[in-house]
Amino acid sequence: MKELAIFTKAMIRERRDILLSILGGFAAGLAGVGLFAASGYLIAQTVFAPPLYTLIMLTSLVKILGLVRAASRYGERLFSHRATFSLLGRLRTAFFSKLVPLTPGILNRTRSGELLARIVGDVESLQFYFLRVAYPPVMVVMVFLATMLFTAAFSIWAALLLLAGMLMAAFGVPALVMIGQRRVHGAVKRKRAAFSTDVTEMLFGFRDLKLYGRLNQREEELQQVSADLAASQRDDALRLLRGQALHTFLTFIISWGMLVLGAYLIVNGSLSGVFLAMLVMVSNTVFEEAAPMATLPAYKQDSEYAAKRLTDTVLSAEKQQPELPANRRSIDDEAVSVSFDEVCFQYDDEWRPALQDISLHLPAGSKTAIVGPSGSGKTSLFELLLKLRKPNRGEIRLNDIPLQELEEEHVWSKCNTVLQHGHFFRGTIRDNLLTEQTCFEDEELSFVLDQVQLKDKKLNDHVLEKGENLSDGEKQRLALARAVLHGGRLWLLDEPTSSLDYITERKVLRYVLDQAAGDTLLLISHRLAGLEHMDRIIVIEQGRIVESGTYEELVALKGYFYELKEIELQMFEASNK
Amino acid sequence: MKRRKAGLLSMLMSRQRKSLVLLAVISLALGAAITGQAALLAKAVQRIFVEGASLSSVTTVVLGLLSVMASRSLLVYGNGMIGLNMAAAAKTEMRSRLLRGLTRSSMPVSLGGQTGGKVSVALDAVDEAEHYFSQYLPRMMEASVIPLLVLGVVFYQHMNSGLIMLVTAPFIPLFMILVGLSTRKKSEEKFDQLAAFSGTFLDSLQGLVTLKLFGRSRQQEKEIERSSLAYRDATMGILRIAFINTFALESIVMLSIGIVALELALQLVVFKTLSFYTAFLILLLVPEFYNLLKNTGTAFHGGRTSMGAIRTVEELLENTAGAGTFSITPSDQDSSERRSEDQDTVDKSRPKGEYESKTSDLGPLPPSMELENLRFRYEQSGFELHTGTAGIKIKPGQHVAIVGASGSGKTTLLHLLSGLLKPDSGTITVNGRELGELDEAAWFRHVGYITQHPYIFAGTFADNIVIGAGHYVSKEDIIKAAEAAGLGGLTEELEQSYDTVVGEGGRGLSGGEKQRLALARAFLKRPAVLLFDEPTVGLDLHTERILQRSITELSRGVTMITVAHRLYTIRQADIIFFMEKGVLVDTGTHEELLDRLPQYAEMVDVQRKGGWS
Repeated sequence: MKELAIFTKAMIRERRDILLSILGGFAAGLAGVGLFAASGYLIAQTVFAPPLYTLIMLTSLVKILGLVRAASRYGERLFSHRATFSLLGRLRTAFFSKLVPLTPGILNRTRSGELLARIVGDVESLQFYFLRVAYPPVMVVMVFLATMLFTAAFSIWAALLLLAGMLMAAFGVPALVMIGQRRVHGAVKRKRAAFSTDVTEMLFGFRDLKLYGRLNQREEELQQVSADLAASQRDDALRLLRGQALHTFLTFIISWGMLVLGAYLIVNGSLSGVFLAMLVMVSNTVFEEAAPMATLPAYKQDSEYAAKRLTDTVLSAEKQQPELPANRRSIDDEAVSVSFDEVCFQYDDEWRPALQDISLHLPAGSKTAIVGPSGSGKTSLFELLLKLRKPNRGEIRLNDIPLQELEEEHVWSKCNTVLQHGHFFRGTIRDNLLTEQTCFEDEELSFVLDQVQLKDKKLNDHVLEKGENLSDGEKQRLALARAVLHGGRLWLLDEPTSSLDYITERKVLRYVLDQAAGDTLLLISHRLAGLEHMDRIIVIEQGRIVESGTYEELVALKGYFYELKEIELQMFEASNK
Repeated sequence: MKRRKAGLLSMLMSRQRKSLVLLAVISLALGAAITGQAALLAKAVQRIFVEGASLSSVTTVVLGLLSVMASRSLLVYGNGMIGLNMAAAAKTEMRSRLLRGLTRSSMPVSLGGQTGGKVSVALDAVDEAEHYFSQYLPRMMEASVIPLLVLGVVFYQHMNSGLIMLVTAPFIPLFMILVGLSTRKKSEEKFDQLAAFSGTFLDSLQGLVTLKLFGRSRQQEKEIERSSLAYRDATMGILRIAFINTFALESIVMLSIGIVALELALQLVVFKTLSFYTAFLILLLVPEFYNLLKNTGTAFHGGRTSMGAIRTVEELLENTAGAGTFSITPSDQDSSERRSEDQDTVDKSRPKGEYESKTSDLGPLPPSMELENLRFRYEQSGFELHTGTAGIKIKPGQHVAIVGASGSGKTTLLHLLSGLLKPDSGTITVNGRELGELDEAAWFRHVGYITQHPYIFAGTFADNIVIGAGHYVSKEDIIKAAEAAGLGGLTEELEQSYDTVVGEGGRGLSGGEKQRLALARAFLKRPAVLLFDEPTVGLDLHTERILQRSITELSRGVTMITVAHRLYTIRQADIIFFMEKGVLVDTGTHEELLDRLPQYAEMVDVQRKGGWS
């Protein structure tokens, strides 16, 4: 159960709600049993024509128990759901704080998005662990024990019969339900995922499929996948249904057993006949309380699977975590020189290296542009510099200090970074500009916003999750403002103005270059025009540096850069109006 | 079209008639089992307790009880199983229709941009619809048969109890429905809020890199906690109402049972008009009765949600139905109508075989084309395209360049000319015949389309090229086409050469390689009409060179229409179509347009400027 350690910890912290819901559930269960016991006894008593007040007392008792049951059921539902949602919150924060230190390492693959979505899904499916797995057995055992004590007062045999029934309900029925479950576990999830990817692929490839006359064939294949999925879903549901039906049957059998046992005991003389109806009704009710036990194993397996996956992810990332050397070094507050020495890098799930034998030296204070076709490895260069990913071979040095000997946080504090898909979080514009280390007056912040051509944004304007309410251009300018305010001496800008029109682009980039005067700057540019004033241009293709030099040198060379530039000149509509 | 109004649901139901009858029969049997069980149990207790009978004398009753119990369990299982089978059949049917609709639909549906939404309908909405068949129908069937049976038995045994039950019964489903509607409204109101709260966690994980780069992770942890708690409180707000209502409902049930019990007790003790057996039987039946009614309420909610989901599916089906360019001839429609008598009407288009009557003879190749007064409108965005009233001719073998700012409708026009989109009005003719009258497959056999983002299917490298052929091709042909498209180097890099799996789950290809793969497809196909969406984004130089060379070769002697982004392509075109905000403003050669169209001249000039320093 090591996997569920985080969960247990979270449960302990929600103990108040959990205890209250257990209390409520226990009260409701007992009241239910009591209610039916009382009504069974009541009806039996009438045979002896008792005085009316006995009857009135009994019927009142029945009603009070009924109300107690409904009320405590209400409390149970309220507290158990509250606990469930609180647990989800705790799990999220717990996993978030666990993932924070692991972040660059855990993302060392191109499809990190899927991994994150999976983590979210797994955490979500863990939230029901309490409600559907941990809680029912506690409740069932408590109610059963109490009922058995009550029954034992009339006949020890009846109590033993209930015990046997409980054992069957807790172990026998679930075991029968689980037959075959292990083999197909996760089949529905897998088939759903397959169907989803296949339909998506069909829609994306629609035009090509249609033109090449392949749509019919593709449709047939998809129909097959869909039928498979429906069959798997039905099988899963049937398994649960089987559990429920078996549980119902067990309930009947035990009640029947109680009847036969009662009859025997009455004939024997060891039980008064007036209790027979009561005992039968008690056993019937107490098993209804145990109904969640039948479906418990399936949920249990799901949660444990999710928990195991989460721990595996976290553990494997922890292993990958690089150990920091004993002697941590740091960069002074000065412009930074950058050098790559035969650096190679390959994503975990890619078949070709993203970067190969990259060697370059960028002196402190230099301004360098990196250009190349999309997918050529430009962004990977930045990821390596930021220690977000680790090179497979070669060494990167900042101010002649190997990157391994620098702490991540230290490197980041020195870098003013604009990534292609920078993240903005819920809050105000001000929140998004300030970081934990920096503090600025509002005037200073507003001034920077002005300079990046975001005059119409106010510091108190709200930013939604992921910056949903900002346009791409606004996001890029806000990201640049954030970088300017960060105060490092190494600038890493990844296509920072690709969504801006060209007049705004010129203004913004001029401002940024002014701010970066004397600092080292690397700019991944989506265009070749306007790179005349950079100290150096590096052209990358398929992970290799194919050319590098000043603008004039490269143009004079009439090589790769020159040809790309010619193509760009031919572009009709490349620059936005 | 008219018959679709009948609804997807009723169509799905008509398929399930047999199962519904079976459900009714089983429900009836179940009702009999429930009353039988109560009767036998009451009987047994009566004999043993009241009459003091010996154990052996009640053997038949007790054994009968056991068998009734066993059959009741089986019947419950049976009803559930029928429900699940119906659900599986309905789901398969809905997905099948959706798939048929999507694959037969025209471009705007498939390229409407919301691919994710459509997939989610096919997956999640259909799954949500399951409840209607697996829960709602069986429960409703049970609820409409069994309580009546129980009530009948009670009436037969003891009129008063029956009357009490009859009066109190309607309150339960009524109350539950009211409760459901109010919570539903509340939860719908809060839905966006809830979604936003639950999205924070994923967002935070996705933004973790930025958050760390700027030292914000600690604050974000608090934000997650805050939003989780807010989510909890919002959800609890909704649930609290639901729970309170359940509490009230349970109290009503309890009260009703109490009234019945009190009346029974009075009859037994005070008036002595009732036997113990009858009283006990009724007391056993009453909870069963109310529980069944309670189940209807629960099923009703699920049913409503499911019906909403079914409507979603229906909407998508309606959007996808019958919008293709290549309509079918009247005689075809008749035959397909007849055949789909009980299959509903959603798909009008049938597999290729039925197009026989349409002309598959395109006439001389490369063809001439003509467009006149084309109009097209995207439903969702409202974007409208119009080519003007004047007829425009493309002579056989001419090269056309469509130019215009981004969003001016260039690609839409290309899709109309290809037949992938159907114009709302106006005509496109090919060799004098209307495009819609041609046999779809025959037309596409001669059309090649090289897009900016060619689709790579999960399959081998060779399969991905062969898709262009449409007929058997030898290995040599494939290799020749691949080499002509400059893919020779790549196949050497791939470990299994042409048999390497590429696409989803296989080897990833770069943008340039995909573009070259599309060229290889075209080299195999050698189309008479070549449609080309010229790349705007940075390709590698190798691909750029190949692209120019290949297009020159492929376009020789064919009619070519290019969405052009490069000046040389435009200069070399025989006619230029200039688009502006969805309107085909003018056509002519480069020189003519430079002369008479200032917007065109400006556009040609714009790219010479640029740059920021």
